[in-house]
Amino acid sequence: MARGLLTLVVLYTVAIVLLGACDRGSERTGGAGAGKSITVVIAEYSKDHTKPFWQGLSEQYAKQAGVKVDLRIIDWNSIDQQVSTMIQNNQPPDVLNLNSFSSYAKDRLLYSADEVLSPKTKDDFIEAFARGGEYQGTLYGFPILSSARAFFYNKDLFAKAGLAGPPKTWDEFVQAARKIQGLGGGAIGYALPLGPEEAQAEWAIWMWNNGGDWKSTDGWAINSDKNVQTLRFLADLANRHKITQVNPGKTNRTDGAFQLFKDGKVGMVMGFSPLAAQLDAEKKVNYGVAEMPTAAGRAVTLGVEDYLMAFKKSGNQEAVKQFLDLYYQPENITRWITAEGFLPVTKSGLQQMSANTKLKPYLDALPNARLVPTTDPAWDRVKLDVQQNIGLAVQPGGNPKQVLDRLQKNAVAAAGGR
Amino acid sequence: MIAAVVGYPAAALVRASLGRYSITGLYQGSVGAGNYARLLEQEALPTVLANTVVWVTTVVVVAIVVSLGTAQLLNERFPGQRLVRWALIVPWAASLVMTAKLFVWIYDYYFGILNHALTTLHIIAEPVDWLGNDATVMGAMIVVGVFVSLPFTTYVVLAGLAAIPGEVYEAARVDGASAWRAYRSVTLPLLRPALLVATVLNVIYVFNSFPIVWTLNDRNPGFAHDTMITYMYKIAFKSSLRDVGLAAALGVVNVLVILLAVAFYLRTVSWREAEA
Repeated sequence: MARGLLTLVVLYTVAIVLLGACDRGSERTGGAGAGKSITVVIAEYSKDHTKPFWQGLSEQYAKQAGVKVDLRIIDWNSIDQQVSTMIQNNQPPDVLNLNSFSSYAKDRLLYSADEVLSPKTKDDFIEAFARGGEYQGTLYGFPILSSARAFFYNKDLFAKAGLAGPPKTWDEFVQAARKIQGLGGGAIGYALPLGPEEAQAEWAIWMWNNGGDWKSTDGWAINSDKNVQTLRFLADLANRHKITQVNPGKTNRTDGAFQLFKDGKVGMVMGFSPLAAQLDAEKKVNYGVAEMPTAAGRAVTLGVEDYLMAFKKSGNQEAVKQFLDLYYQPENITRWITAEGFLPVTKSGLQQMSANTKLKPYLDALPNARLVPTTDPAWDRVKLDVQQNIGLAVQPGGNPKQVLDRLQKNAVAAAGGR
Repeated sequence: MIAAVVGYPAAALVRASLGRYSITGLYQGSVGAGNYARLLEQEALPTVLANTVVWVTTVVVVAIVVSLGTAQLLNERFPGQRLVRWALIVPWAASLVMTAKLFVWIYDYYFGILNHALTTLHIIAEPVDWLGNDATVMGAMIVVGVFVSLPFTTYVVLAGLAAIPGEVYEAARVDGASAWRAYRSVTLPLLRPALLVATVLNVIYVFNSFPIVWTLNDRNPGFAHDTMITYMYKIAFKSSLRDVGLAAALGVVNVLVILLAVAFYLRTVSWREAEA
C-alpha cells in the first residue's frame, strides 16, 4: 500500500513538473497548408488599436489575395517565448513584428527586401530607419513604426521650485533636481528607471548625451572612460545627491517611473508619446516636453524602430509580398501609426503626420534621434545583459566600472560566437 | 494516458536539453551533455538553489502550521462558519498573477497600503521598499506564497479532521487527557495521512510556483532572488544567455530535484513510522 502510494505520488510529481516546464512552451501553430493561408504575428501595442487594425487589414487582404490570414496578436511579455517556440517546432510565422531582427537574418530565416517588397515601398522608407533594418548591408528588418524619447518635466513643480525652464545641461539638470527634491512633501527630482524592463533605453540616452556610445570603430565600447563617467554620474544622482526615487536600479519604467510622474510626485522623467497620451487623458499633471539635458553640447535622443520581417517558407513568397505591400500603402500604415500614437517610418507618412502639432516635439527630435545597434545580432544579447545588470551599478555600494567591464566582456563574447 | 501526459513532454524536454539552439530558437545540432556542464558553470546557480530551498521549505512549513490552526477553527461550529469556509477559497480561486499584482501594490514604497499602515501606527519610522530591498524581497514573496497555499492546505487538513471519529476523543477524555494532550496524541497522529498529502503536494506546487516570484521580483536586476523555476525562464528568454537548450537542461534538473526531495521526504516519514 505504501509502495502504491509512493508510485502514484511519484508519477503525479513527474506529470506536474513536466507540465510546468512545458506549458510556457507549447503554443500550437496552425496546420493549414502553405499557400492557402499565412500566419501573421503582431505585437500588441495597445488593446484598443492593434487588433482592430490588423483584423481589418487581414480581411481586406483575404478578399484581394484569396489567402486567409491566421492573425495572432501577442503581448510584449510573451512574444519572445512564443516566437522562439514556433521556430523550435519548425513552424515559424510567415510575417512577424518584433523589436529585433538581425538574429533571424543571421540564422538565414528571412526574405530580404528585394524578395518581398515592391521598389516603391522600399524607396519610401526614411533612410535612417532603412539602415536600422540592415544586416550585413541587406535590408531584412522592414521598419513598421518608430518612436522617439523626449524629456518630460512637471511644470507645477518647476514653478514651485522657482525654476524658469527645463534644464539644458547636466549641471542645470542636477540643480533643478536638487531644488525639486528640496521642496519636500515626497517630491522627487528625477525618476530614473534602471530596472530590467527598459534599462537599455534610459542608459543609451544618458550615454549619448555624454558623448559615449555602444560601439567605437573597433567594436563594442561599453566600458569606455566616457561611459564609466556617465554611469558614475547616474549612481551619484541616486546615492550622493539623493535626487531620484528610492532604488532606481530596481525601478521599472511603466509601473515605476511613469507611475510616479503621472501621480505628480516627480519633477522630470524621460518619456515618449504614449506617456503624453496618458497624461493628456488623466489631466492630473501639468507637464512640458523638452530636449534631453546634455553634457555633449548637442542634445541626443533615442529613436526606436520596430520591424516587420518575412520568413522564408516554400511557396509563401508571393502571398507575403502582397500582404506587406498592403500594409505599406500610405493610408494603411499611417492610419495605424497615428492611432497607436507612434511616429512614421516612411517619407510619405512623415509628410502626412507633420501637420499634427501634438507630435511636433517628437518629430522635431527624430532627425537627432539615434538608434541602438539592432543591426548587430550580438545586440540581442547585449540588450538583455544591460537590462539585467546595469541597475546593480546604481545601488548603494554598486561598482559602475565593474558592471560595465562585465557587460563589455559579454558583448565581445556574444559578437564572437553562438 | 500516462505515456501521453508524462512520456511525451519528458522526452521533448530531455531532447531539447541535449540540443544547441540559436538565440532565435533555431535547432543547430546536438551538444550531448554540454548544456548540463554549462549549467554547473553558471555563477548564479548556488544563489538560486539556496533561494529555492528557503522559498519551498518556509512556505510549506508556515502554510501547514497555520493551516492546522485555521482548519481546527473551521472544524468548530460557529455562526458564519459556512461563510468563512467559502471566503477561504477566494485566494485559491483568484488567478495567481492577479493576486501577485495586488500584493505588488500593497508592498509599493510610495503608494502601498502596508507602508502607510505601518508608519501611521509608528511601527516603522520610514517606509520600506519591500520588493526592492534585498533583505525583504524573499520574505515579502514568502508571505504571498503562504497566503495562496493556505486554502488548499486548510481544506486537506479539514478533510483529515472530519475523518477522525468522535469516539476517540471520548476515549481520550475518559482516560483523563487534557485538550492539548488529546490534540498531540490523538489529532496529530490521525492527521498524518492528510499532512503527508498536504506536504507533498505543496512542495511540488510551491517549487513550481512561477507567477508569484516572477511578478514580485520583476523589478530586480540579476538573479539574486530567483528560484529554479524563474531562473529557468530567465535563461530561456530574459537573460543574455537566451538559450532554450540550457533552460531545458535546468528543466530536467528541476524534475530530478523535486522527485528526489519528495522521495526523500516520503522515505523519512515511512521510516519514522516503522520505528514507531
